[in-house]
Amino acid sequence: MDNTDSNHIELSQGQMSLWTGQKLNPDVPLHNTAYSFEIDGEIDPEVFKEAFRQVVSKIDALRTVFFEKEGIPYQTVLSKISNGLEFIDLAMESDAGVKAYLQERSLKEIDISKCIFDSILVKSPVRKYIWLLNIHHLVIDVVSLKTIFESTSKCYTGIIENNLEEIEPTPLFTEYVHFEKVFQKNPKNENIKNYWAERIKTIKKQPELYGVYNKFDKTKSTRVFLELGFERSQRLREIAQNPAIRSWTPHLTLFNIFSSLLFVYLYRVSGQRTLSIGAPNHNRATKQFQKTVGCFIQIFPLVSEILESDTFNSVLQRVKLETNNYLKYAKPGMATSEINRSFSTILNYIHTGFPDFCGFPTKTEWIPSEHIDVTHQMRCHIVDFDATGEIEVLFDYNRAIFDEDLISRAPHHFLNLVDAFLGNIYQPIDRPELLSDSEKLNTNSEGKTDLDAFISLIDQFNKIQNSNPNDIALRHKKEIYTYADINERANQLASFLVTKGIGKGTSVALYLERSPEYIIGVLAILKSGGTFIPIPSDQPSQRVAFILEDSGCALLLTDTQLKNNIKSVDIETIDLNLLSESIKNQSGIDTKIVIGPSDIAYVIYTSGSTGNPKGVLISQCAIFNYLNWAKKAYTTGDKFIFPLFTSIGFDLTITSTFLPLLTGGEVIIYKESGQGPDISLMEVLADNKVNSIKLTPSHLALLQGTDLSHSKINTMIVGGEDFKANLAANTQKTFGKGLKIYNEYGPTEATVGCIVAQFDSNKHKDVSVPIGTPIDNMHAYILDSYKNLVPKGVIGELYLGGTGLAEGYANLPSLTEDKFIKNPFLKGTKVYRTGDLARENSYGELEYLGRADDQVKLRGFRIEPSDIEANMLGHEEITNAAVVLIENEKSVSENEVINCTECGLPSNYPNTDFDENGVCHLCNAFKGYKDEAQRYFKTTDELRDILISKRGKNPNYDCLSLLSGGKDSTYILAQLIGMGLKVLAFTLDNGYISDQAKGNIDKIVQKLGVDHIYGTTEYMNKIFVDSLNRHQNVCNGCFKTIYTLSTQIALDKQIPFVVTGLSRGQFFETRLTEELFWDKNVDVSTIDKTILEARKLYHQEEDAVKNLLDVSMFNTDETFEKVQFIDFYRYSDVKLEEMLTYLKEKVDWVRPTDTGRSTNCLINQVGIYVHKKQKGYSNYSFPYSWDVRMGHKTRKETLEEINEVIDEKEVKRIINEIGYQEIGEDESNQKRLVAYYTGKKRLASKELSEYLKKELPEYMVPTFFKFIDEMPLTKNGKIDKSALRALNSSQLDMDTPFVAPNGEIEELLAAIWKEVLRLKQVGVHDDFIALGGHSLAAIRVTARINEEIEMNFPLNKIFDLPTIAEYAKYIEDTLVELLKE
Amino acid sequence: MIAKIANYIKQEIANEPLDNLGEQEDLLGSGIIDSMGMIRLISYLEQEFQVTIPAEDMVVENFMTLAHILEFLSKKKGEQ
Repeated sequence: MDNTDSNHIELSQGQMSLWTGQKLNPDVPLHNTAYSFEIDGEIDPEVFKEAFRQVVSKIDALRTVFFEKEGIPYQTVLSKISNGLEFIDLAMESDAGVKAYLQERSLKEIDISKCIFDSILVKSPVRKYIWLLNIHHLVIDVVSLKTIFESTSKCYTGIIENNLEEIEPTPLFTEYVHFEKVFQKNPKNENIKNYWAERIKTIKKQPELYGVYNKFDKTKSTRVFLELGFERSQRLREIAQNPAIRSWTPHLTLFNIFSSLLFVYLYRVSGQRTLSIGAPNHNRATKQFQKTVGCFIQIFPLVSEILESDTFNSVLQRVKLETNNYLKYAKPGMATSEINRSFSTILNYIHTGFPDFCGFPTKTEWIPSEHIDVTHQMRCHIVDFDATGEIEVLFDYNRAIFDEDLISRAPHHFLNLVDAFLGNIYQPIDRPELLSDSEKLNTNSEGKTDLDAFISLIDQFNKIQNSNPNDIALRHKKEIYTYADINERANQLASFLVTKGIGKGTSVALYLERSPEYIIGVLAILKSGGTFIPIPSDQPSQRVAFILEDSGCALLLTDTQLKNNIKSVDIETIDLNLLSESIKNQSGIDTKIVIGPSDIAYVIYTSGSTGNPKGVLISQCAIFNYLNWAKKAYTTGDKFIFPLFTSIGFDLTITSTFLPLLTGGEVIIYKESGQGPDISLMEVLADNKVNSIKLTPSHLALLQGTDLSHSKINTMIVGGEDFKANLAANTQKTFGKGLKIYNEYGPTEATVGCIVAQFDSNKHKDVSVPIGTPIDNMHAYILDSYKNLVPKGVIGELYLGGTGLAEGYANLPSLTEDKFIKNPFLKGTKVYRTGDLARENSYGELEYLGRADDQVKLRGFRIEPSDIEANMLGHEEITNAAVVLIENEKSVSENEVINCTECGLPSNYPNTDFDENGVCHLCNAFKGYKDEAQRYFKTTDELRDILISKRGKNPNYDCLSLLSGGKDSTYILAQLIGMGLKVLAFTLDNGYISDQAKGNIDKIVQKLGVDHIYGTTEYMNKIFVDSLNRHQNVCNGCFKTIYTLSTQIALDKQIPFVVTGLSRGQFFETRLTEELFWDKNVDVSTIDKTILEARKLYHQEEDAVKNLLDVSMFNTDETFEKVQFIDFYRYSDVKLEEMLTYLKEKVDWVRPTDTGRSTNCLINQVGIYVHKKQKGYSNYSFPYSWDVRMGHKTRKETLEEINEVIDEKEVKRIINEIGYQEIGEDESNQKRLVAYYTGKKRLASKELSEYLKKELPEYMVPTFFKFIDEMPLTKNGKIDKSALRALNSSQLDMDTPFVAPNGEIEELLAAIWKEVLRLKQVGVHDDFIALGGHSLAAIRVTARINEEIEMNFPLNKIFDLPTIAEYAKYIEDTLVELLKE
Repeated sequence: MIAKIANYIKQEIANEPLDNLGEQEDLLGSGIIDSMGMIRLISYLEQEFQVTIPAEDMVVENFMTLAHILEFLSKKKGEQ
């Protein structure tokens, strides 16, 4: 024993975590461990009392109490306690009454400071006795419980039989506490700590069971008993005998089996593959401890990575190895809190039994406390307390995740896996069904329409036109067409088509712009009984030719202009312009052809994966089903007025075309705008004539910021791609409450739309608006890879069935067979495999979660990257190609931004982390070196000494003071004069200093009697433009100009010092990085040297200043000696208030009011505007956050300034004036297609893009082409598209090919670069400067490298060797040299 | 060697007091050692005989009896 006070015994590691859990949840019986032993025999309560009293007197654990001193918990063992066994006679109660009593009594709070147990003997109705023993977990585990049970039984028997032997006291638990402490401190055991640290490293997040997001803040739980029964238990034991499966003991084998089943279960209900399970270990390391009563158990994780190829057996084999290591490293005191946080599911395999009491058969039950640790999502206990051979599984479900409904279903999912395992351990873990039959019954759509009411599209149109012939059907610019008009023209064209042989079973392509002719053409084809094939006018001629040929259409309708784009194809082409006269001469009477439900109405070509588009065949019945439903669902009572402004090749346009025409409404046609981006949407909104619109989320994004409160649109159908909820909410706000927004989901193969949700801003608060529930006669199934239905909440692939399914693909029977498979749930029907991932949310709505394959959506267009890749591979110089969609880096939308609660830094500042108190990582980091950093600062006396140190060398001036006219620089000037120094003031006139500021400057210098000069350069505007392009602000360029010009003047006039007005916040922003203070003993002069190095590098950075101004003096180090820069505020820590008072008294300084801002510069706001627009946050956010940290500004002031309203009109004027080319909303916001390729050599992007334009529509031509040496591959040998997606735009712009880091040093450098430069991915040939590496980043990178490999590399190396490859080689060479020495 | 191991088992691991421990006695099957005890024995063997026993080798076939253990250890030693 050590000399710890025996009254103040510390807690063991395991006790400590239990104590903390209880402390955090003081009012719940979290750790009550209550067992009821039902003893089938006549018990003498008085003897029982005596027996228990003796047990308590011998077992120290039962006399242990806990107390707290200065926040630290201790335990102490009392020599005596008065509490004993209580006897209660409930013989007159009902069975249920007794049960309820036991349950209630088990939840009684145990006061750990007084008595650690509650022990009651209950006489129950059927001559049985029940002993309820409830002990706080702090002093026992199940082994201890057995010791207590057996001791009591032995003692009781001894008294009854009159041969009681003195029971021996059990060994003391305090000895274990001591043993554990010694063990923890033993340096030999570091390897154990390392093992666990390494083991849990891969566990990054806990699985979301059934898709439920857990906040980990609730303890309430419910226990469910799952009896496996004799037969299953027996078969499990048989399997456990299998030599290939068995482990050390049958129990351990069963433990391995249940662990494996639990891993499979967790994977199947969460989709997560990296999983951990916490398993309690009895942790009784010596024989002595095996007899000790106390809380020994510790929980350690089993970790498994589920593989695609896994079978039950393969998981089990891995678990077997995992368990061996688990047992090897499960050592006393090693279950730290980090380890405890690495799992959220518990597997507790209990093989302790309580067979009899004093020879009487006993039935043991563990009564749940109805609470579990907040960190535990579920616990699974495997027990056989009565040693009957029947295994029972007890689930404790945390109610934060499991509601009543789920609790009723979840145990069956586990049981189904147990049965599958028993059936065949070699089957894939994905194969068995989780759902039981009763659960499967609840998964179908409800709405049905009577399909006997089928009317073909054209019959519906005919009916409407008969009843309302004079209503307006179409408008196009100033032209107006009534129903009678278009009907007559469609009849004429139909008659003409019939003469050409068109009828049922034939098809006609329409290659036209959006126009009345297009609509009349569509109607005419339908009237003739044929199928229409819309081909949008922007398709490249090769694509048009392919469609014409592939579809086998009999005729092509086009116009004179578009006809020229068509390559010679062997299809009769009708030029509607040329033949208009002869068509007019045809009969205007309806053809009266009868059309059936299975006739094909239209064929739409979508992106295919082979390099060619594929035609989707839609039947009359399918389109009838959609439109019939849409009429009911979208009606507002008014007639529909839709704009036709989206591509005719896009099936969402079917709604805009037919929904109005089949209901007596109007279509307003907006023709394509020719070259350049289609601005039709803007025209639609400006005209404000429509009340309904169908568009894509990308369209909606374009409208952000437009005032649409007067829009007439009351029905908006959004489709084509994922619809973000904040976009929906903003749209609702913009248009007002009267607008109904629908999110319509549906691949072309399931006809326009088949799942729909009406947006509800109160309900839909997740990232995306759900896609909703299936429309009439449609079914949606979410299936796993074995086509089993997944449980509610679990992600799976969406399959669609019902009337709206397409008939398949034109001329692609095997693809059709692949995608349209037998419906496993409805005999004789098909389901379409969408490739979309989905799940059902708690409202029963479906949520879209992306693609199972890599199909992408761009502005609503569906694109198969493999289509583009196949076309790229057609180029003879290209050997491999991969196309990815890269989304904009601006990830946080403005209304989601939060600001650090201390400094105000916005959360959209790149890579910011906020802790639970909303404090940013910079504030937290700064707290660590704030005191260290104080050493950098000095006093004004020291400043004066420095500035006069070179007196005599210059007869005229001691220093040159930079004067912007603002408060800070004015204060400096006045102070310097006050010190009796001779000062020359210098101001850069950048052309945008406000008049008032200039007035200030003139007044100040006059009042102070200082010499003053203005500097200028003719290149100022170019410098501004360059700065905006490089840094998205104007200040960087302006600052560098000031430094350059003032250095020149100082050199000319032999002035030894330039005094700057940088604020302390700016020091930290630009140079005083955390890394400089890592070495606590570092000399300030070393920091000064580093900063001077950085300054030299700063002047070497390529930019407009370097290229346009004379910077030759910076090439020699002498310059930096001749002219030294002194930051005034390094020596002065004046408060704002004090400064303003001083300024008012001494120089009569007033804040300029003509800039509209707290600055004296008019162009400043251009920088803020551009920065905000492109990066989402103000360029002042970062420096101001430092001002707050330094105590020079309040958070409130900062927030007001960074959120100030910008005068956009003025900004645009200045942008024009300086000649800056603004990057459009589109370019900065949108997703872009990027193509990577390998081959003999790099090709010009222009050439590639021209090449692809011949084959692909414009929207499918990638924006970027990047040559790479080698495609990055995943573990499975597939192209690693996520690595390709992680490159940022400056990396894409680089000429160098992407090569992933290789080897320890390259990987180390890459990690440092990524962190400092905030990159997701970095190639070893990427250039440091091109990636945005400036001098500050150089300081940080170099300091980190030096820290990691304990070297002292100079700062400029990073510029000499600006790539990871070069730098890594340099490091390696240096290290090799060192080794040689 | 065998006496040393037998002694360790008797003193440190065996669940019940043991007089004799035969070379062919089934250590696990007879309940002399449980799984935790087996892992402790393995750690002991690693330390005492300077071998590394990876999880893959921790199978019943190598540790069933003292004779098995001996055979396994000499094989292991041979490999090193």
